[in-house]
Amino acid sequence: MKPVDPRLWSRIGSARRYVLAIAGLAVVGALTVLVQALVLARMLAPALLPGTSPEDSFGWVGALVPVGVRSPGVGLVWLAGIIGVRIAVTWLTERAAHRAGSRVISVLREDVIDHAAAMGPRWVASGRGVDVVALATTGLNGLMPYFVRYVPALISAATITPLALVLVLDLDLTSAVIALVTLPLIPLFMVLIGRMTAERSQRSLVAMQRLRGRMLDLISGLPTLRALGRSQGPAERVREFGDAHRLATMGALRVAFLSGLVLELLTTLSVALIAVSMGFRLAAGNIGLETALAVLILAPEVYLPLRNVGSHFHAASDGLAAAAAAFALLDEPLPHPSSGAAAPSLAGRTLLASGLGIETPDGSALAPASLTFVASPGEVVALVGANGEGKSTALMAMAGLLPPSRGAVGLAAATGAPASTLATPDGSVDTAEWSAQVAWVPQRPDLGPSARTLSLGQRQRLALERAFSSGRPVLLLDEPTAHLDPPARAEVASRARAAADAGAVVIIATHDDAIRAIANRVVAVSSNSTVSSGAPADGATEVAP
Amino acid sequence: MTRGVRGVRGTRGVRGVRGVRGVRGVRGVRGLLGELEISWRTIALAIAAGSAALGSAVLLGATSAWLIARAAQMPSPADLAIAAVIVRTLGISRGAFRYAERLVSHDAALRGMTNLRARAYERLERYGTARVLSLHRGDIVARTGPDVDALGDAVSRSIVPAGIAVVVSALSVVVVGSQDARAGLALAAALTAAAIVPAALTVRSLRVTQERGARADAAATIAALSLVEAGPEHRVWGTTDEARAALVAADREVERARDAAARPAALAAALQVAFAGLGLGAAVAIGIAAARAGGLDGPAAAVVALTPLGAFEAVAALPAAAAQWYRTRAAAERVFHLVEPAEAFAPEPRPGGAGDDAAGHDAASRASRSHATQRNGAAPTLVLTDLSVAWPGATPTPPVSAVIAPGGVLGVVGASGVGKTTLLLTLAGALAPAAGTVTIGGRPIDGDDTGGVVAMTAEDAHVFGTTILENLRVARGDVTVDEAREALVSVGLAPWLAAQAAGLDTELGSGGLTVSGGERRRLLLARVALHPAPIHLIDEGAEHLDPEGADALRALVRRRSAARHSTILVTHDPSLLDVVDTVIDLGPETEEP
Repeated sequence: MKPVDPRLWSRIGSARRYVLAIAGLAVVGALTVLVQALVLARMLAPALLPGTSPEDSFGWVGALVPVGVRSPGVGLVWLAGIIGVRIAVTWLTERAAHRAGSRVISVLREDVIDHAAAMGPRWVASGRGVDVVALATTGLNGLMPYFVRYVPALISAATITPLALVLVLDLDLTSAVIALVTLPLIPLFMVLIGRMTAERSQRSLVAMQRLRGRMLDLISGLPTLRALGRSQGPAERVREFGDAHRLATMGALRVAFLSGLVLELLTTLSVALIAVSMGFRLAAGNIGLETALAVLILAPEVYLPLRNVGSHFHAASDGLAAAAAAFALLDEPLPHPSSGAAAPSLAGRTLLASGLGIETPDGSALAPASLTFVASPGEVVALVGANGEGKSTALMAMAGLLPPSRGAVGLAAATGAPASTLATPDGSVDTAEWSAQVAWVPQRPDLGPSARTLSLGQRQRLALERAFSSGRPVLLLDEPTAHLDPPARAEVASRARAAADAGAVVIIATHDDAIRAIANRVVAVSSNSTVSSGAPADGATEVAP
Repeated sequence: MTRGVRGVRGTRGVRGVRGVRGVRGVRGVRGLLGELEISWRTIALAIAAGSAALGSAVLLGATSAWLIARAAQMPSPADLAIAAVIVRTLGISRGAFRYAERLVSHDAALRGMTNLRARAYERLERYGTARVLSLHRGDIVARTGPDVDALGDAVSRSIVPAGIAVVVSALSVVVVGSQDARAGLALAAALTAAAIVPAALTVRSLRVTQERGARADAAATIAALSLVEAGPEHRVWGTTDEARAALVAADREVERARDAAARPAALAAALQVAFAGLGLGAAVAIGIAAARAGGLDGPAAAVVALTPLGAFEAVAALPAAAAQWYRTRAAAERVFHLVEPAEAFAPEPRPGGAGDDAAGHDAASRASRSHATQRNGAAPTLVLTDLSVAWPGATPTPPVSAVIAPGGVLGVVGASGVGKTTLLLTLAGALAPAAGTVTIGGRPIDGDDTGGVVAMTAEDAHVFGTTILENLRVARGDVTVDEAREALVSVGLAPWLAAQAAGLDTELGSGGLTVSGGERRRLLLARVALHPAPIHLIDEGAEHLDPEGADALRALVRRRSAARHSTILVTHDPSLLDVVDTVIDLGPETEEP
């Protein structure tokens, strides 16, 4: 995974100023780290070795910190000032990083949800809605560590490391060479180890998830096992799955921690080599104490940002993966572009389906296969059939929410108004205008965030109430009595009848005899599992007058 | 044995809450390690390895400071040789010890999680049948999944880092203090402040996140769910903009909550820098003053002044450790809320007064042996006399009476919420009657009959993430391939089975084949067909049961009756009542019919 996803940066919008602030603060922070090293060296050298020559041994770098800092009083003031600046930089960076993170998460969340909301009912019915909401909430929240920890570490690595190297280069060529040789080894080894272990990690990750899934599945099946008198054996199986999961995980970790081992080994050993090399050169008089101390304090700072990048990457990768998934979703094309001519008024018109066929999401069948019926004002039409035959899908097509794969939904010709087609596979009138004229009540109606606390039965009653009192000319009800008691079912049936009697077209998908009893017509809906078998058989039969 | 409501409450006092294990939530490190069954030796080993790693870094800083200061005095190279070897060795040991520490602590954590999961299962398994049968699957998964993970994470992310911080800080103080006591004291004070204050602020930040942030996150999730899942509905009713406005408002509140939580977090980070700076400044000032006054030689002063540069790394890990401990405590509370007996339920005293594991299993297997004799014959007669059911404390249902002779079929109907499930639990022996009696073969039914003589298939019975065959073997361990096939054919799943490439070995559930609602119901009926219990309670929600499913159910019930096995069928669907002999109507909930 790339540490910086360009798609993320192109979408961060108003969070950009916070990221720029983090970058600016990182430069200031880098300077304080370097100056602190020079100040400490200046202060300590005369104290550790009285009689040091008063000359400045720092070369051009010495311009950053005047020789006067060697006096302890002046030096402590400088030190206090530097620490004060570092405190401020740390505080401001944290605040800016949090703001950047939460801004970006909100922006992305709203984009993803807007996109998902426009994907249409077929997409919602595929069950991906819940996953996408989880991605847009919990998943994208994983970007917080990315912005709060990883991005500042990355920017520090891009500022502190090169600046410290430049200083070391000026102060002591040998130490600079050691650093220049070891630094490229770090990314090199990381990539090599990553490549070598990628396949193995992937394999063990799959095994780990599977074993964990099995273990939790077994525990969560306890009520079922107890009800069947079979609950006593599986504790041992839970332990077996747990042990297998542990072995798989440890196998993966032994490899995964290798990169950490190499990172720490290279960085610490390099610092040790620089110290030892300077020690012997000091003893031989080839380097000054002040310079040696400055390099000794600077050397770990060259490597520290790289270590931080490495240690925060894991926490950041979840958020990056979520962001990548979000971009993949945003790239999915939206179905059903609202198109064409203005939709006609549905009031007082006869609705018809002719040869209506809609492919299932996997494309393996047509459900419904070929549905033909008319529904005139004043009529209740019941759509019946086993689950999966396409009753709900047919209602969605009648509501203008799904385009047909075959045939059409439309209006019969009437006096003063021509026949009209809502949608064919080629598309025709503006479906949004059509949808706004129908009162569609799906199974498990939602009614918006404020109604989420209500029970399914309560929501169903409210949704039906909204439909019956809407005065819309077409009512499309999907199993309206499924979660209701017999008295409530009877009431729904009588109100549906009353709506039809008042001039509405009422189409109800149902298994309920109470609804069949008030229907003018009962239409059987059936599917056809072979999409490519030429013209589908007549899939609609009127089974009762 | 008759267990009235009072009997159940009575047992709780005796060995309910206290008897199993007197821990509600985790009190302290000792409690947590006890729950995870991790020994102190393992933890000590991990802390030792981790301290050796970070200690190497501290000692590397101190030794190289000494080396440079000593070298400046221009001694013979031999005087530097030992220090040079030590410095190089410390350069290597840090990474190696860190690697060892990570492996030891993760292994311990994973062992602990498995121990806890297995024991959670065992504990739940031994609780009252009523409680087990009314557990929610989502709860079990959340508690034994991520929550148990959070308990295990406390080992590698909280307890071990805290131990390392203590050991390494002590080491730094000893190194500096051995050269100059005042500098040692100053460093100890700075380290203590850097250990406590930022960690406390981090916990405060988390509290804000958990209270205000979690509420805001939940509101955003609800708004997002409504916008996505009800997208078509919003389109029809013109409420899309309203729903979107709700999401945007929820998002603004999420941002405000995050910002409120970020304030103490930023202060914690800033104070860490401040305390480390104070420690360094004090050590430098003291070191220079002592060197100038001649109290310390150059190398010793270098050690005093420069050791603090690396000494704060261990305490820098403490805010994260405190945060993990905070999350772990919350998770532990949830885990033990589920795993321990709640107010109204108690572990069921099994015959023989099961106190420990061995006795409990013994008693249970005795019980199932005694039932085994009845299994293959005709069902014992089930008699309900003026039976009224309720959860302890709830309003009891009106009394009902019925006799279910061998091979009989009892139908139970009634509005949602009137107590059909409660009646089932009572008939399964899981719940004591509120009034009246249930007898089986002339004796009162109890929890040990559940699953043995009286089995139950709930509306939401679990289909396991394993093969079709293993899912059927849940009914009986020795189901043969032929029996399994026959059972699937009998519920009309023959075409479905034929469509599966791996046949009976096809994996179901997550990662495998997803079953539709109708297929799932019929698979559960196949399980009923294979189960040996002479009485089976089937809770058929009847919501969206298609005609094929209804036919399969009728055929199953008739086959059971022919074999003199009794069936109790709970349903919403009056058309299914053509197969029952007797109907109990629990009536409407509150309204007039």
